[in-house]
Amino acid sequence: MRSDAILNDAARGSSDPRQRRPIPAWVATTALLLPTYGWLTLAVLLPLLTMFVFSFMSATPMGKTPIVFTLKHYRAFIDQPYLINIAWTSLVIGFWTTLLCAVFGFLAAVALARATVGRMRETLLVLLLLPFWTNGLVRVFSWTMVLRENGFLDGVVDMVLPDIGSISFLYTRYAVVLGLVHGYLPYMILTCYIALSTIDDAIIEAAASLGARWWTILLRILLPLAAPGLISGAVLTFVPVIGSFMEPRILGGKVGVTMGTVIEDQFTQAFNWPLGAALSFTLLAVVLAIFATFSGVLRRGTTA
Amino acid sequence: MTNVNVNSVAKTYGTTPVLTDISTDFPEGSFTSLLGPSGSGKTTLLRIIAGFIRPDEGIVSIGGRDVTHVPVWGRNIGMMFQSYALFPHMTIAQNVAFGLGRRGIHGAEARKQVDAALEMVHLPGFADRMPKQLSGGQQQRVALARAMVIKPSVLLLDEPLSALDRRLRQEMQVELLRIQRESGLTTIFVTHDQEEALTLSDKVAILDKGRIVQIGDPETVYEKPLTRFAAEFLGDSNFLKGKVESGAVRLADGTVVHAAGTLPADGAQATLAVRPEKMFVAKDPSPGNRLTARITTVIYAGQALSYILETADGMQVKLFAQNRDGNVLKQGETVVLGWSADHTVAVAD
Amino acid sequence: MTQLGRIYLLAILIFLYTPILVMMAMGFNESQLYELPFSFSTRWYVALMDNQQLLKAGMNSIIIAVITAVISTCLGTMASIALSRRTFRGKSLLQLLLLPPIAIPWLITGTAMLVFFYWSGIGRGMHALLIGHVALAIPYVVLVVGTGFSTIRADLEEAAMSLGSTPIHAFFAVTLPLLFPSILGAALFAFAVSLDQFVISYFLATPGYSTLPVQIYSAIRKGFTPEINAISTLLLLGSMAAILIFARFAKPGDVRDKR
Repeated sequence: MRSDAILNDAARGSSDPRQRRPIPAWVATTALLLPTYGWLTLAVLLPLLTMFVFSFMSATPMGKTPIVFTLKHYRAFIDQPYLINIAWTSLVIGFWTTLLCAVFGFLAAVALARATVGRMRETLLVLLLLPFWTNGLVRVFSWTMVLRENGFLDGVVDMVLPDIGSISFLYTRYAVVLGLVHGYLPYMILTCYIALSTIDDAIIEAAASLGARWWTILLRILLPLAAPGLISGAVLTFVPVIGSFMEPRILGGKVGVTMGTVIEDQFTQAFNWPLGAALSFTLLAVVLAIFATFSGVLRRGTTA
Repeated sequence: MTNVNVNSVAKTYGTTPVLTDISTDFPEGSFTSLLGPSGSGKTTLLRIIAGFIRPDEGIVSIGGRDVTHVPVWGRNIGMMFQSYALFPHMTIAQNVAFGLGRRGIHGAEARKQVDAALEMVHLPGFADRMPKQLSGGQQQRVALARAMVIKPSVLLLDEPLSALDRRLRQEMQVELLRIQRESGLTTIFVTHDQEEALTLSDKVAILDKGRIVQIGDPETVYEKPLTRFAAEFLGDSNFLKGKVESGAVRLADGTVVHAAGTLPADGAQATLAVRPEKMFVAKDPSPGNRLTARITTVIYAGQALSYILETADGMQVKLFAQNRDGNVLKQGETVVLGWSADHTVAVAD
Repeated sequence: MTQLGRIYLLAILIFLYTPILVMMAMGFNESQLYELPFSFSTRWYVALMDNQQLLKAGMNSIIIAVITAVISTCLGTMASIALSRRTFRGKSLLQLLLLPPIAIPWLITGTAMLVFFYWSGIGRGMHALLIGHVALAIPYVVLVVGTGFSTIRADLEEAAMSLGSTPIHAFFAVTLPLLFPSILGAALFAFAVSLDQFVISYFLATPGYSTLPVQIYSAIRKGFTPEINAISTLLLLGSMAAILIFARFAKPGDVRDKR
């Protein structure tokens, strides 16, 4: 055996041209990953870092003004109490949007999973998701067509009940919530549907065979089993909603002042970038806290 | 000369040793099964021979050539996978011709060899179909044709039949054996199905915890297991523990049992293995071993009967019997079990 | 029950599509002030043809979306190969790093880009928009292509190698053809993501160089005419077409196949 091995050792590296050593694995892996992560570093990670630094500056660095670092922008909530009201408005809007999306989205997912089959289900799913991947701005704009005075809604109401007058509620918080629900409902339907589609039909049949009525099945079986999808849908609705600014601007008018619009103002109107940065980071902290709280559910929900 | 030789091969993942010091030879034309529970290292060994995994230590040679540092694509192996691994975007002919193309064989010559290979697996006329249009068994035949058409030095089979249902599996076993015999190809076959291993192989290697615990022809490995694990993993076995006394073993209840082969020295502890089907209910005094036990469970399976018995000191013994005369022993009966010393083997724990 | 479920779904669809359809219809309404009754007219589409600002922004949007699709698909596919087929330390961290562009509100990402690009001298304009759009599209490409990878068994490449393919040949002969629909789907998806992107563009656009959504936003805020409905309709139809073609390739409805 030994002598064989030595002979073979001597014969190693023989003439077979295919015997070339492959490129070390880590070189190939790095080469594949570097462009993507380099790009993300340049476009996302470094900007977030820079903004973090900016949030400690006393004023937007313009010209030769010396840069002074301060914590004052993080005290904005204490120094400018109206910000607390605005933050509260954002949270309330976020809460109602998420709740309405959850209720209507879950029921839609149940209807999709239980009341449709085959091609009809596929078509419906695509139709339900399609708006989500179209321009959000245009969809918000669309609602102004419906909600404005003498708009589509008033037209319909006038046809049914001619004496009631205008029920237009454009430029109210209801309009903002309505527009946001319209924006994120498809996403909630998708996450709930993914969770529901993994449920074995036999479970429902078993429950029915044990005498469960449909509402019992809905509340005691489908709801708990779809909970991961419901929660990840809720998180992925709530987070962008509290950072939204165009929906409150367009549908809320004067009452549509939220954290999003305040931050936007700092960058586009007031040019107080450090304050905007500090507010952005406060918002980011809230977002990260939400993600951290639900990370377990999200991981299961998104890999389903 | 296309034997496969593995010398002192070891592989560790992190701190978990998967294979420890494996040395064995797969002679030219032999059909060897690597048999073991999951995690025993049998698949790792096959993949080291194939070249998908590089061993930490040791040498792999195919046909006398050291291929330890040769990548898979330079080893000229034929391999079959559990999932068939047919290329779904190619026709059957393109699948089979894939390896030929890599060897510079194209056109009419390739077509001829592809047809011959499909003929060999009894699938002529399937050349232009897509894999999806074939049944599982047919796909596996194509996989076999694809592996064989390149005239590999060695055929490596990674549980290729385990995805098939029982009937198809038996059919494919016969087919596989016929083609292997006709081609005289050195074949290494990973399986966890002991029956399959015994039926197909010239040699069975039993792996446990990264070691080959026993390798030999199926009969020897079955009849003369070397270790308790080998006896238990391949088939079923009763184990009788006792102390060696003047060339025999005295059990705890005083019964003296004779065994074939060598026993440890007098006074040492020994474990004897006896196959349950080698035991019988002894009606009249006859030469051989004896053990008195009471029947606790009767398992009636039509043609075969299994009994679980218990001796006076609580040792459990299994007994398999053919249902030859329709007389089934009753639970609670006390019987005398008899068996030959030739069927009693001392095993290492 | 089945009937009730279907009626409910129909109601949801009506809710989702009514405003969009009303908006589209108003683009064909004669009245500048969106007054009813409806009288059909294509005057706003005709006017649109003369609106150089909107047309230029539309062209910019399409150019940016195409370049974004190409770059992000190449980069994202490469990353996806490494993330799907190779094992290395720190992989889960890298996968986590794909989330910020998707999960952090675009307002935060967008303002951060504005601050960094200003501070670092990259500035605003087309190149800045491209940097931002590609970064937003890459995670989607990695996800879509990664889903494609998960439907291709790793042992296909092993089978190719056992037949004599080098890993590179095995990739091009076996994996890439099987992956092609996913890559095409990812490119369409990236195109749609870029075409619809407003928030990032809003902060990175300059008065001289902007995209369609940015122009639409400023028009909405300044007081709009049905021209906006016309261009919005075109934009919606464009991205709906991209997504529908994507759905043909990647079958997002077949959720259970994604393992």
